[in-house]
Amino acid sequence: MKDRRYHQKKSLKRSSTKSSGSGRSPSDKSKKEVMDKPTSIKLKKREFFLLLLFSGLLLFMLYRVGYIQFVKGEEYQKLAYLAQTQKRQINPKRGTIYDRNGKGLAISASVDTVSVNPIGLRDEVKSDENKLREIANNLAQYLDMDAETIMKKFNMNSRYEYIKRKIDRDVGTKVRNYLSNAKIQSIYVDEDSKRYYPNGKLASHILGFTGVDDQGLSGIEYVLDSTLKGVPGKIMNEVDVLGRQISFSNERYVDAIDGYDVYLTIDETIQHYAEKALDQAMLDYNLKRGGTIIVMNPNTGEILAMASKPDFDPNDPDAMPDYYEDTDWGGFSDPEDSQYLWQTVFRNKAVMDTYEPGSVFKAITAAAALEEGIVSLSTPAVCRPISLAGHTIDCWKKGGHGSEDFLHAVYNSCNPVFVNVALQVGIDKFYKYFKIFGFQERTGLELQGEPSNEEYRKNQHADPKEIDLAVTSFGQRFQISPIQMITAYAAIANGGNLMKPTIIKQISDSEGNIIKKFEPQVVRKVISEETSQTLRGILEGVVAEGTGKNAYISGYRIAGKTGTSETLTTKTDGRYIVSFSAIAPADKPQVCVLVVLDHPQVAMNLRTGGVLAAPVAGRLTEEILEYLQVERVYTEKDKKDMTQEVYVPNVTGLTIKEAEEKLKAFGLKYTVEGNASDENAIVRSQTPKADFSVPQSATVILYTENQPEVTVTMPNLHNKTVSEATETLRQLGLNIRIRGSGLVTAQQYPAGTQLKKGEVVEISFVEMIGD
Amino acid sequence: MEKREYDFWLLFTVLVLLGMGTVMVFSASSYNALYYHNNKFYFFIRQLIWSALGIAGMLVFSKLDYRRIASSAPILMVISIVLLILVRIPGIGSNINGAYRWFNFGPMSFQPSELAKISLILFLAFSLSKNADRLKHFFTGLVPYLLVVGVIDGLLYLEPHMSAIILITAVAVIILFMAGARVSHFVLLALPVVVLGWQIVMSKPYRMERLLSFTDPFKYKQGSGFQVVNSLYAIASGSVFGRGLGKSLQKYLYLPEPHNDFIFSILAEELGFVGSLTVVALFLLFIWRGMRVAMNAPDMLGSLIAGGITSLIALQTIINIAVVTSTVPATGMPLPFFSAGGSSLVFLMSSVGILLNISKGSQTTILTLHKGGKADPAVNHTLTKRKVGDY
Repeated sequence: MKDRRYHQKKSLKRSSTKSSGSGRSPSDKSKKEVMDKPTSIKLKKREFFLLLLFSGLLLFMLYRVGYIQFVKGEEYQKLAYLAQTQKRQINPKRGTIYDRNGKGLAISASVDTVSVNPIGLRDEVKSDENKLREIANNLAQYLDMDAETIMKKFNMNSRYEYIKRKIDRDVGTKVRNYLSNAKIQSIYVDEDSKRYYPNGKLASHILGFTGVDDQGLSGIEYVLDSTLKGVPGKIMNEVDVLGRQISFSNERYVDAIDGYDVYLTIDETIQHYAEKALDQAMLDYNLKRGGTIIVMNPNTGEILAMASKPDFDPNDPDAMPDYYEDTDWGGFSDPEDSQYLWQTVFRNKAVMDTYEPGSVFKAITAAAALEEGIVSLSTPAVCRPISLAGHTIDCWKKGGHGSEDFLHAVYNSCNPVFVNVALQVGIDKFYKYFKIFGFQERTGLELQGEPSNEEYRKNQHADPKEIDLAVTSFGQRFQISPIQMITAYAAIANGGNLMKPTIIKQISDSEGNIIKKFEPQVVRKVISEETSQTLRGILEGVVAEGTGKNAYISGYRIAGKTGTSETLTTKTDGRYIVSFSAIAPADKPQVCVLVVLDHPQVAMNLRTGGVLAAPVAGRLTEEILEYLQVERVYTEKDKKDMTQEVYVPNVTGLTIKEAEEKLKAFGLKYTVEGNASDENAIVRSQTPKADFSVPQSATVILYTENQPEVTVTMPNLHNKTVSEATETLRQLGLNIRIRGSGLVTAQQYPAGTQLKKGEVVEISFVEMIGD
Repeated sequence: MEKREYDFWLLFTVLVLLGMGTVMVFSASSYNALYYHNNKFYFFIRQLIWSALGIAGMLVFSKLDYRRIASSAPILMVISIVLLILVRIPGIGSNINGAYRWFNFGPMSFQPSELAKISLILFLAFSLSKNADRLKHFFTGLVPYLLVVGVIDGLLYLEPHMSAIILITAVAVIILFMAGARVSHFVLLALPVVVLGWQIVMSKPYRMERLLSFTDPFKYKQGSGFQVVNSLYAIASGSVFGRGLGKSLQKYLYLPEPHNDFIFSILAEELGFVGSLTVVALFLLFIWRGMRVAMNAPDMLGSLIAGGITSLIALQTIINIAVVTSTVPATGMPLPFFSAGGSSLVFLMSSVGILLNISKGSQTTILTLHKGGKADPAVNHTLTKRKVGDY
């Protein structure tokens, strides 16, 4: 201000004199004097104004610099860092997924990934097209790629491109050597890892699969992705715009941290049994919509096995399913194919699907009635069609079973009896059990895709009336998921505790230190120990004497219940869902097994849980109990029904007479082909051969001549009884091994097969029982 | 005769700025020079030579009486217009990136627009110092000058050279304003200028895109916003004290020509806010001294020339920093004394020489006034003026 006044004062003085001077005698002045027009106040004022204006603007610019440096500084610095730094990622080794015994189910192998800095490479060779081509050709050879594809990458306008990912280590080493010999700096070979699944399709729905970046896309790989994946490492360089390292900067290296290992509760062996059983059912019953099997330890809620069909190979998840036909299959790159995969083979039916449980659910109705003291084993019951709200409810057996006690009503799976029992329990109490057994909420199993609580409730009676209660009592007209069903059965099995099902046992770091352990979790107590025990006894009877007969395994105490569920399309296409839920051993349960088979395509009268699902569950349970080394305890009846197996002794080279004695000692019969009259004739060969296991009553064919073995044609034994089948085969000279009882459902060899006389043919029988 | 002095602070500021600029040119250009010319001193050596020529030019013009230079302004104006016409003729002018702005003579090159700037300043000052009263009249006073400016702008538009148009127009308006043109006339003219400007912007798609890229340079990061984004990265990376002289990362080809229009960004990156503050302070000092010379000039001619030259340099500085800070749309505006510039540096330094010459005159006046004591200031003043004129 002071300054300004000073200027103004001065200019005022000067200009006033000046203007008066010039005004005095303008004509006298020379040309130069005219030019010397004095500065006016106005001019100075305006110049001073400009000085202030420019100063203000310049200070504003300084403010802008400060704003960028301090307000926007951090943000821009980050972006600048990204732009100025070339970062190559080192992928961590993804954690291994083990079964409960430490068998690797999903493993990451160390591999290499080859990448290029195209701008840098082109600069390195001074854009010499021939040199680039030469490098591309060499790489193409090592990497088994098309040289053109590599050339395309070399010509990209970027600083980082993958050439080939996840190549074997030895190939990577070769490329490394080539690059160092050729002194190429803009192509890199970095460590990487690749996921593989040594057991192929085994447990594919549990394990899931990973994408190209090793990211989990389904199953445990997806659910525990953050646990498994680890933290990527980095190689960082400060680079110029072409991606070349700046001379004064150093390469910085940050190690990758490997992912944690996950131990599942799955037992690889049991999983294998379950998958085999389900595969066999797929074949035998021609299941249109696949099926699922769950094996659970009822005491802990641990899933020991979980199979779902159709399935896939996680090593090649988007391969075309075997049964599918599509000439231009595109896998994940074709949205339609991709959608198809997610809807079919990737679908874990054990947790994602819901179904009407059918009579398997009667165990829950029975549990409610027993717990509430409505019934006891001896409570009299009448199985006769009943009418309710305009509907007639009949038993699966037309006309019903008539008068019986409650125990036998369960054995016979009588719908009208359950309806009456449920009505006695009452809507409120019945649905209290429905709820506490966990059917209205997700179980919390650590796999994705289980319906939400809302989705579950949408398929259940929101405001149940008597008729709803009636149909629910025998498992119809509402939907639950298989995992809910087996969890409820586990509660019946373990003394009444509803467990939270779990599939993860523990998480450990790569050195084996436990990071997290999953302990069994009781959700709530649902029934008393006493009710549990009573109910197990009843269900054991169902298998021993009732509709579950086909699940009976001699020596093992299996409790269980059959189920046959109608579906919305049952009337049009005959789709039934048949199931069986087992608890074994009934006295001291170690496993629960649920078998659910969707849309078996066999004769209509066979489409029941008792006929189709029970034998699958029975055989599987037998295998599991054997594996778990549960000792068999045979009942008297078991012993009576059992056919001993013996090993055929070697009688070749003996005389007929000697052979007869030896075979008799094993309880075997024989027939001679050729010279039968001479007891001193030498046995040249025999069928079955020595050390074959055969039923004790079998007949061994002895050949006295060096002749080709006599063959017979396998007949069709379908629907024959045990004695009919035995007789038919006996007449042909074939030995029978009987599996089950009832009518023939399967024969080891199809009709028409040429078999050697004397061979043992395994024939499966099933009781023709409903439900 | 009294010993006459140059304005010391003006000279000091200019030499410090030029010195800093030369160092920054070396730092900013070394990698580029190495990459494109295989010699990291390539631009530095050239800058040293041009700086020497510039200083020589400054010395020469500081000795030449500005009145004599101003009296040749009409001829310079005609030469400028002729050169601006010639440069647009393919074969005579060089086509660089689609624009005809340069004459090339082997290692040397020359932009007629540089000559046109200083010529116009001299011409306007020369003419207005005689006819300032007429400026009050719109058609007879203001319009004829605007027509001259219009002719030059039109020729520059044909090159095309937008930044020169902006600069020349702005400086012309400033000189007219200083000389006393009515503010109301400018307000009246602003409307058609805005409309015309809009038309020009809309006429070429790249201009529109530049305009848009200024509002969100990150959206156009790969295209027109590339330089601005990298400039922001550089400035932001500087923080308080900078990465240190020579340690810029953005000069590694991120900023395409870090030693030219975006040299301030590299300076801000290497020397931080402290360095930026120093440079801005020096420019403030320069503008103050320059305007002081104008205000204290012995006559209206000197005052207008000094004001014009100071405004020209101030405007270039402000616009340059405004561009690199993404405050205004990108336009090719070098930073005076810093940007590596060849012949334009000689023009710049010569202009400073003229400014110094005027300062000598003004200081003489003040000295006389003070030393004269009781003498009538007016008489004394006129006498001195005559002396200077004869000198």
